[in-house]
Amino acid sequence: MSFIKIDNLNIRLGNFHLKNCSLTVERGDYLIIIGPTGSGKSILLETIAGFYTPEKGKIFINGIDITNLPPEKRDMSIVYQDYMLFPNMTVFGNIAYGLKKKIKDKEKIKDEVNHIAKVLNIDHLLDRYPNTLSGGEMQRTAIARALVVKPKLLLMDEPFSALDVKTRSKLRSLVKNAIKEYNTTVLQITHDFEDIWSLANKVVVMKNGVMLQKGSLEEIFNKPSPNFVADFVGTNVLDAEIIGKDGDLTVLNVDNLTLYSYELDYNKHCNNGGYNKVKVSIRPENIVIENKNKDIYFKSERNERNERNVFIGKIKKIVNRGYIISLVVNVENIDFNVYITPNNIHSLNLKEGNEIYIIIKPENVRILYNSKNKIKN
Amino acid sequence: MQLISFRKSCIFATFLFTFLLFIAIASLFLVPNPKDILESITTAEMIYSIKLSIITSVISTFVVLVFSIPIGYSLSRFSFKGKNVVKSILDLPMAFPELVLGLALLILFGQTYIGKFLEYIGISVVFTKLGIVVAQVFTALPYGIRIIYSTFEEINPRYELVSRLLGYSELETFKNISLPLARNGLFASTIITFARCMGAFGAVLILAGGSYMNTEILPITLYLNISYGNIGMAITSGIVLIIISFLAILIFEKFEGRNSNSSKI
Repeated sequence: MSFIKIDNLNIRLGNFHLKNCSLTVERGDYLIIIGPTGSGKSILLETIAGFYTPEKGKIFINGIDITNLPPEKRDMSIVYQDYMLFPNMTVFGNIAYGLKKKIKDKEKIKDEVNHIAKVLNIDHLLDRYPNTLSGGEMQRTAIARALVVKPKLLLMDEPFSALDVKTRSKLRSLVKNAIKEYNTTVLQITHDFEDIWSLANKVVVMKNGVMLQKGSLEEIFNKPSPNFVADFVGTNVLDAEIIGKDGDLTVLNVDNLTLYSYELDYNKHCNNGGYNKVKVSIRPENIVIENKNKDIYFKSERNERNERNVFIGKIKKIVNRGYIISLVVNVENIDFNVYITPNNIHSLNLKEGNEIYIIIKPENVRILYNSKNKIKN
Repeated sequence: MQLISFRKSCIFATFLFTFLLFIAIASLFLVPNPKDILESITTAEMIYSIKLSIITSVISTFVVLVFSIPIGYSLSRFSFKGKNVVKSILDLPMAFPELVLGLALLILFGQTYIGKFLEYIGISVVFTKLGIVVAQVFTALPYGIRIIYSTFEEINPRYELVSRLLGYSELETFKNISLPLARNGLFASTIITFARCMGAFGAVLILAGGSYMNTEILPITLYLNISYGNIGMAITSGIVLIIISFLAILIFEKFEGRNSNSSKI
């Protein structure tokens, strides 16, 4: 039995329709929901919280149907992007608010508040009012208020997106520790892939009120559903044909480009004339770039080391995304999305139109089996 | 250039009207003889009228708040069938003349079974002091509801969801979170409602009657004395009303100024 089960949830709000959403969350999971604006992430979160009544479908916690329970009986708490700290209460008052409902012993309340305040490093702010705090301090207070009651499920709606990059990164590690200490199951919405890398163990991708794909990080990023999910998570998804075997490696043909992958047990799947048309996925951060002009012996050295998937490409586009630089590199008429750090782009002195080497380790070329191309056992 | 002349025109219009209004109000203070005013203000009629006005307005303001808080909250927070019709009906008294409202109330409490039932259990509304309160309540209620509704509309309902998820019921959340956050709006509503009750005339005249030293509140004193040709008393009641309204508006503006976040160019 799953810890949290959302079964075929449907909700209609004006023109918006959340359709047939089903999900299971295990105790201790950190599940992140991503998707473009207007995909229904917040509505899903607030429906789970009891803010909206679903038209159809059920929500279970530990097998108990909570669909029609009022929010106060659900044993959850929520953290919003804009904090929602009660302005008429101090930081202490805000954190203690939920505890006062559960515990009558004032000393115990004080101890619990002091403890979480220490964990989240806001113990020096307890007497202050929210309007005197910085964004990061307010969000730490909001998280403390939500965590201190030890909810069965912590809901977070873009908790870090109103903060600057530095504060965001600090807060993530604080939250990670706090959640670990309080052993809380978390369901978070975000637009920021950094949140996913550093916090999540499960991901759901939503669009237009529909859950397009759910799974582990590995599944979503390395084996995304073709088209929208792959595009959204930035993964390169290419049509390929399995053409042979080279040692442990599977040899693939992608528009006359030969790619090697560790993914497939060739003998098991392809020897008897199985389906050989597949899709392959390559994460943009798993593509390494080397400057072509830097070292003329580069390619021969690589060949000596028997390295595969080394190609020459031309940089078509460079987009600065803040903490990451996104490149579009064209290799024999195939466009690859590549992520590199701002430091790398300066040290390699990369410009649009430059020719470069791209290197993809065979273990990073993942073969996707969609139903159409499924390989028979 | 065009923007500057537009700006100047707007400011000119503002000053022009403010000046005319100020002159009109000032004339009320400047024209009469101060001795007349001092004499008028100490008459038994004037003291009775001021006392009755304040007592009825305080009671009416309390009644308006008791009703407008749940009404304003439910209009802001809940969806229910006929909500738009309810909103329109509640706003109606702001749109039609007070005299018509008074007439409607007179018929309700004088001619219908509701009125007869109230009479039967000993509650007389028509031509009584209770009638003053009823007329004031019906006149001021739409204003009270409007302000409280806007106040709750400005409070993000997510505060309430946070509180409820932390274990508090709908009523507890209302008491602990919504009401304290609406404090400024409730204050504004109290001031405006009180000023509106003090100035209620048409509905009071029709429902409670304008009887001397009985159902005589300040606007009625003004009306009765101007009918008798007693200008000194009429002006004095006008001045008292203006001072009370001015104080109310001053307090309201102070509150507005303190809470306004709007940027000015």
